[in-house]
Amino acid sequence: MRNHLSVSILAVAVIMAFSFGLTAEAAQQAGASNTQTAPAPEHDLQGVWNMHAPASQRHFIGATYTADEPAMTPWAKAKFEATKPSNGPRTHTLQQTDDPVLKYCYPPGTPRIYLQPFPMQIVQTPKEVIILYEYDHTVRHIYTDGRPHTPDLTPTYMGDSIGHWEDNTLVVDTIGFNDKTWLDRDGHVHSDKLHVIERFRRVDLDNIQIDITMEDPKALEQPWKTTLYYQLKPTWNIMEQVCTDNLDFMSFEK
Amino acid sequence: MVFLALAVGFLTIAGAAFAHHGTANYATTKSVTVKGTVTDFQFVNPHVLIYMDVKDDGGKVTKWQGELTSPNRLSRVGWHKDSVKDGDVITISGFPAKSGAPEIWIQKVTLASGEELQTGGGN
Repeated sequence: MRNHLSVSILAVAVIMAFSFGLTAEAAQQAGASNTQTAPAPEHDLQGVWNMHAPASQRHFIGATYTADEPAMTPWAKAKFEATKPSNGPRTHTLQQTDDPVLKYCYPPGTPRIYLQPFPMQIVQTPKEVIILYEYDHTVRHIYTDGRPHTPDLTPTYMGDSIGHWEDNTLVVDTIGFNDKTWLDRDGHVHSDKLHVIERFRRVDLDNIQIDITMEDPKALEQPWKTTLYYQLKPTWNIMEQVCTDNLDFMSFEK
Repeated sequence: MVFLALAVGFLTIAGAAFAHHGTANYATTKSVTVKGTVTDFQFVNPHVLIYMDVKDDGGKVTKWQGELTSPNRLSRVGWHKDSVKDGDVITISGFPAKSGAPEIWIQKVTLASGEELQTGGGN
C-alpha cells in the first residue's frame, strides 16, 4: 500500500514536472509570437529560419501535417497501411522501419523535408530562390525568372520548382517527383503525379508562414493542406548534418 | 539510486514535445532517473550519446546508455563536445527502454554542480 502510494505520488510529480516544462515552453513561445516585430520587407525571404509550431500543432507536427488523416484513395490507403513508420501512432523500431529516409537515407522529398527537425536558410538571386535545408545538405532551386517547368522532366526526390511573387507572397509550384519518398514521417504515400504548391508569406520581419497544398490524383481524394510556421534566427548558421551518420546509429537502439 | 515512475497519460504529453526517429524502443509512459559516472560522451549525429556506469546500493555496476537529440540542436541551446566529460558524475532522467535494457531516452541532464542542461527542444 505504502509502495503504491509512493509510486502514485511519484507519477503525479513526474506528470507535473513534464507538464510544467511544456507549459512554460508554450508560454514562452506564445510570448515570442505576440512580440511586435518590424514589418516584412518586400520580396525578401532571406535568412535562417526554424520551425516554430503553435501549441495546436505540437502533438502531430513531429510526424505529419494535420491532426486529421488526409483523404486517401483506396490505392494510397492500402499502401499506407503496409508501411512501417518509425514515427506517429504506428511506430516501429529503427530495425523494423521501412521509412525510406531512415532505412536508405533517400532525400525526404517535398514537402516532407519540412518535417525533418532542422532549420533552413533561404537565399535569393535575381533568377532563383535557393533553400538550403540543414537536413543532409538538401538544396532546392526555385526558379523565379519566368521560365516554365523543365520539359520532359526526369523524376526526382525533391521535384522541379518554379516560383513567382503574388504581392508579397512567393508562390512555388513543384512537380516531377519520383514515388520513392513518403509525404510525411507517418508513412503516407504519394505517386509520381504529386503536385505541391507552397505559398511563403513573410508576415513580419521575424516570421514566415508557409501554406502548403499537396495534390495527387492517384493518392489523395482531396488536396491535403497545412500551414507551417517559421521564425527568423539571425544568430544561427546552417550546420553540417549527414544522413549516413544515422546508419551507425541503427545499432544503438536494441 | 535507480527508480521508475509509472505516469499514466504521459504518452500524449510526450508525443507533443519531442521529435525523434521514433519512440518504439522506449516506454514513454514511464520515467527513469539514474545517477552515475560518465564513461563515454559522443557528440555525434544523429543523436548525442552518453554512456555511464551506475552503481546500485550493493555496489553492483550496470552500464547504462542514453540518447539525446542531435548535436546541432543541442549546440543551439549551449552544448558543445565537452559539455559532459568522462568521469563526470551526472544524473539523467527520461524514458526507459521497453525491453528493460539499461537504456534511456534522455529528457533531463543534471551535472554534479546541480546545473541542469537543456535537452534541445526549440523545434
